[in-house]
Amino acid sequence: MQMYEEQKSSCPVKVPVECRFSPYTDNGGTTLAIAGDDFCVIAGDTRQSEGYSINSRYAPKVYQLSNGSVLATGGMYADGVTLVKMIEQRLEWYRHAHDKQMSSGALAQMLSTILYHKRMFPYYVWNTLGGLDEDGKGAVYSYDPVGSYEKQKWNCSGSAGHLIQPFLDNQIGFTHQKEKAPLTLERVVQVTKDAFTSATERDIYTGDNLEMFLVTQNGIEKTRVELKKD
Amino acid sequence: MEALFGITGKGFVLTASDTTMARSIVIMKHGEDKSRVLNKNTLMMYTGEAGDTVQFAEYVQRNVQLYGIRNGVPLSAHATASYTRRELAKALRTRNPYHVNLLIAGTDPKTETPELYWLDHMASMVKMPFAAQGYASYFCMSTMDRYWKPDMTLEEAKALMQKCIDELKIRFIASLPQFTIKIVDKDGIRDVQL
Amino acid sequence: MLDLSFLPSGRGGAVTDLPDDQDDAQTFAMDAAAFSHPSFVLPSVADPVAWMKHQMSDAAENRIKMAKGTTTLAFKFKDGIIVAVDSRATGGTYIASQSVKKIIEINPYLLGTMAGGAADCSYWERELGRRCRVYELRNKERISVAAASKLLSNMVYAYKGMGLSMGTMVVGWDKTGPALFYVDSDGQRLKGDLFSVGSGSTFAYGVLDSGYHCNLSIEEAIDLGRRSIYHATFRDAASGGSVLIYHVRQDGWQVISRTDVTELHYQYAEEPRPSLL
Repeated sequence: MQMYEEQKSSCPVKVPVECRFSPYTDNGGTTLAIAGDDFCVIAGDTRQSEGYSINSRYAPKVYQLSNGSVLATGGMYADGVTLVKMIEQRLEWYRHAHDKQMSSGALAQMLSTILYHKRMFPYYVWNTLGGLDEDGKGAVYSYDPVGSYEKQKWNCSGSAGHLIQPFLDNQIGFTHQKEKAPLTLERVVQVTKDAFTSATERDIYTGDNLEMFLVTQNGIEKTRVELKKD
Repeated sequence: MEALFGITGKGFVLTASDTTMARSIVIMKHGEDKSRVLNKNTLMMYTGEAGDTVQFAEYVQRNVQLYGIRNGVPLSAHATASYTRRELAKALRTRNPYHVNLLIAGTDPKTETPELYWLDHMASMVKMPFAAQGYASYFCMSTMDRYWKPDMTLEEAKALMQKCIDELKIRFIASLPQFTIKIVDKDGIRDVQL
Repeated sequence: MLDLSFLPSGRGGAVTDLPDDQDDAQTFAMDAAAFSHPSFVLPSVADPVAWMKHQMSDAAENRIKMAKGTTTLAFKFKDGIIVAVDSRATGGTYIASQSVKKIIEINPYLLGTMAGGAADCSYWERELGRRCRVYELRNKERISVAAASKLLSNMVYAYKGMGLSMGTMVVGWDKTGPALFYVDSDGQRLKGDLFSVGSGSTFAYGVLDSGYHCNLSIEEAIDLGRRSIYHATFRDAASGGSVLIYHVRQDGWQVISRTDVTELHYQYAEEPRPSLL
């Protein structure tokens, strides 16, 4: 905290004084999403940190949205919370206006626009949106803080994103390999668990718990796996 | 690295502008006309900040044309230059001034008096018998001081313009391979060859 | 004094034959909304622009990185326009994606390319697409490429100096034939036959300029575009992934190919160097 002395001056004109304005912090954490043929897995660890301090061992940053999509937020926790509240409100307005749920494709574009409307004062959040698309196929959309987005098959972002993404390219995409294993839900869950347990060993901002959302046509199943707490 | 020239003669102004559009170290285009026709007998040439130049020139162009439509009388070259200078000065005192340097060439269709105005982005305006904008002025103002005389014929003016362009080719580090040459006289504005 | 009473007054455009009912007011109100600039949330500081610049600089404690680094190109030839781009997105030294679509399909007969801030390009070119549609509905006629590119340049010029980063080519076919414009976030707008934009553009120009002429066949033109991007990805670390190529013709654009540059590398390595004489 900085202390400010009250400015005293003989000058009769009051000059506005601007205080230091730094509204951003990085609360760490890693998020991951993988799309299969008829399912989608969205996961994130639950540790919340600031510098070398751990604020919470269970502060979930992956949110199940009311339209059946799942949003994983990384970066600044508070901005993520605000953003999810805002999205939920827009989803509700959409239901009132159109009497149906917003599709995941429409939500993906809306999120981009919401983020870009704060282009000059961005949400400090790296988003990954997962769910099923209009044809019931798994869909993953990843974003930068100002709304650039891309539909992908798998994505990992956040503090251990650069550790896990190449692992996913290898184990999910089988890039530069001749043999490709079929992408079953069981395999995706196992790869996700392995990714997080390994990342926990090498990234100080990843750990405590892994929370996974398994999205299928039958609904969304939420599971929790313990990670190392050191 | 852009260059503009203007030379007044008997009943006309001869103008030249380079045609190179560069961004950073890359030439994005050869053959761009860096001028706008303000009305039948007035031409504006521009250099300066990317984006600002065309936006400002077209803003002035439309307002000068609107004046002509509203009043049924075209704005004179002097009035056009004064108006343009005032717009630059107004913008200079806002948060986002126009970074544009100009030459305005005009010939009064009745008196056949040629006029040439030099304006910079700080809203200075000078009426000159001959003028140059940009680094070209360091090389060519002396050339024009040496050879310019009142009431030059078109052939003489062309020869002087060629001397200026040749000097740039000899001494100026940046390559300006092509110029658009125009004449502004009582009959209007036309492209000419040197 | 000329009589100008025939001109419509107020905010509306040159609509002279509107039906005489109460919908008039609404029509004009909608027009204004359809063409007004979007508004953006600003931080409560004296100079939001300087603040944002700081947040995006290396000095910021929590830096906001934007995807940058690209090679894109487009050129006219006798059978239309070839557009070719790479597909890499970088955040600093990290390769954020190898599969970015840097050719934006504004509508079935207009394309835009993406260089600079990815979000800036995709947002404003989407907005351009919307405005082109509004133009079409009002005028019962497709917008020209010149007008479309000017809409884009005017939009971004309104935000000049506020940190937008965009270098794009607007490409299409209209009444005047094939058309190619370069538009950037400075507000610069140039008509031309050949452009390349992005950090790898100098490398792409090196191959493109030496092999370009107007009478290229379609196959030759596609190959020249592909090779130019390939050589740019070879020399520019910020470009890579695969080469995406579109061909613009009178009946609209067409996707030609998407090729991994690694595949091209080994394919080109087999071929002999072309004759210089």
